Amino acid sequence: MHSSTKTALAAMAASLSLGFGAPASAELTGDLKIFLDTSNPAPRATMEAMIARFAEAHPGLEIETTVIDREAYKTQIRNFLTANAPDVATWYAANRMRPYVEAGLFEDVSDLWAEPAIADNLASTKGALTIDGKQWGVPYTYYQWGVYYRQDIFQELGLSKPTTWDEEKANCEKIVASGRACYTIGTKFLWTAGGWFDYLNMRTNGFDFHMDLASGNVSWEDERVRQTFANWRELIDMGGFIDNHQTYSWQEALPFMVNGDAAAYLMGNFAVAPLRDAGLSDDQLDFYQFVSINPDVELAEDAPTDTFHIPANAQNKDAAREFLRFAVSAPEQTIINDPDNLGQLPVNAQSQVADDKFLQQGFAMLSSNSPGGVAQFWDRDAPAEMAKVSMEGFQEFMVKPDNLDRILSKLERARQRIYK
Amino acid sequence: MFPTPIAKQSRGAQITYQAMLPLALILWLAPLLAVALFSVKPAADFTTANYWGWPSSFDGVANYGKVFLQSDMPRYLLNSVLITVPTVIGAVALSCMTGFALGVYRFRANLWIFFMFVAGNFVPFQILMVPVRDLTLGLGLYNTKTGLVLFHIAFQTGFCTLFMRNFIRALPFELIEAARVEGVSEWRIFWFVVLPLMRPAIAALSVLIFTFIWNDYFWAVVLTQGAESQPVTAGITSFNAQFRAAYHLMSAGSIVAALPPVAMFFLMQKHFIAGLTLGAVK
Repeated sequence: MHSSTKTALAAMAASLSLGFGAPASAELTGDLKIFLDTSNPAPRATMEAMIARFAEAHPGLEIETTVIDREAYKTQIRNFLTANAPDVATWYAANRMRPYVEAGLFEDVSDLWAEPAIADNLASTKGALTIDGKQWGVPYTYYQWGVYYRQDIFQELGLSKPTTWDEEKANCEKIVASGRACYTIGTKFLWTAGGWFDYLNMRTNGFDFHMDLASGNVSWEDERVRQTFANWRELIDMGGFIDNHQTYSWQEALPFMVNGDAAAYLMGNFAVAPLRDAGLSDDQLDFYQFVSINPDVELAEDAPTDTFHIPANAQNKDAAREFLRFAVSAPEQTIINDPDNLGQLPVNAQSQVADDKFLQQGFAMLSSNSPGGVAQFWDRDAPAEMAKVSMEGFQEFMVKPDNLDRILSKLERARQRIYK
Repeated sequence: MFPTPIAKQSRGAQITYQAMLPLALILWLAPLLAVALFSVKPAADFTTANYWGWPSSFDGVANYGKVFLQSDMPRYLLNSVLITVPTVIGAVALSCMTGFALGVYRFRANLWIFFMFVAGNFVPFQILMVPVRDLTLGLGLYNTKTGLVLFHIAFQTGFCTLFMRNFIRALPFELIEAARVEGVSEWRIFWFVVLPLMRPAIAALSVLIFTFIWNDYFWAVVLTQGAESQPVTAGITSFNAQFRAAYHLMSAGSIVAALPPVAMFFLMQKHFIAGLTLGAVK
């Protein structure tokens, strides 16, 4: 009897909140356990402040926040989703959430995505949160990828921002002739080469082909894949990349750009902070969208998205849903993504983008110049095992381009084994 | 005598030795020196490739300040103490008793029980990872300091028992017999006769176990998951950001984390060396 009254109240509250857009705050009681992987100080403070604001709006809730080291989190999530589930957990979109969705460990939150406040304003990331036609979480931040380059070196050599592959190669030839490398990269941990493959393949064959390849529907020995590598090889043979990149982490490759030995870096927006720390001013550092290669395919971008999920074993799913609504709301999105906090792009179309030239360019690029789609990055779009094998192949290709046939046949064998 | 003392060797050999010694020392200490150097550098030095050069500014105070004031480091250090000290007390107390029982009493299964304690040391502890994690989960001790302490006590007692049993065997058995003749109860023999004689062994073992447990990383990562329960060895990685490794803060944190065992070693050097050789020679 008691519980049915409660359900009726909750239903009433839900209908009220749908009708007037007011949160069902008065109804929320009990414990809310939140697990975060935002372990370094700045994002951690951002998240804790956001949770504090949520707690203020819902005094009846006992909120318990656990912050776990981001790397450790990746292995611990398997534990705690089954054994010791929180009510809200951070994770990543697209294929990275697939194993947990398929194992039934994440709650279906399609109901949230049906609410107008979310459906209308979060459309750009909906695809990344969708598996089997249902949504399994909400995004809270994302960031752009693209080419960060030394504007002062470009000026010195009389170069302008390229937009086509021919311009790109012409620029690169001049940069190499000046004794520099066009691009710095550190492929020791492989994923940076994955970024190059993402862009070259999306520009050569388009977003849909790229996703087909990531899902194992296309052979690695396909002529179109070979074309991607042929384009890549043009830059490699030109001497476009720094030497010995397989021995550097992405961070260890930064000094080449800071010291002027390389002119550009294909990287995520997180590269801006250390480059600024190292003394590069906004006059020296600029950004451009990766050039178009095949004019027949639409531009598509990498924009890795971080997400909140409700574990299927959560205890307080009503409060968790309310927290998800709160986290994606326009005001919260504006606050948590500003440069003092995460310094990334808000996912809500109604929120404000910070006054930062890289964030502004990234937001403009993703919202108006990425008609092909938004990818999550190779190691999130492809299954973990395939991502690992293929990125090893990319690294090997960058060092020994002549091994391409052997690499592709190895990847093809891996595809047949992994996707089955 | 082999090897011949350096002082008695030829002049040439002495000079070579004196020249090589500092070189070997520097080589051995290079990683430590690098960590010490990194801990006073600003973050920007790692982005401008100034790894080994003179720091562009001395940020030692800022780095160590961040470690102590703006991170969970004090919490992690406290956790380490709260894990290490009970483990040392627990393992040493248990092994004094098992060592006494196995060293003094002659009963049929004595040797077999002793072998079981010893055999525990030969199990590669990595294979216990999954069962122990499941066990702590089942007992509700997952992600608690208590769980970690109980596991460490259980696992360390094997080695400690070997150590203590051999030490007690080496004590003059006549002392115990004399006490028995006087009609002293077994419990009082243990407490008033044997235990005082075991002091050097207890000291040596405590120092040894303290260093083992303080430096444990594996079980800390397997059995605990947050600042509320993890010891400092696992906590150091919390300085790493999502994308960037904070080499300067990790270095400062590592030095802080290494201080207690190093201090322990220098203060108790005598016991430490005794501990390493006590079990070996009977």
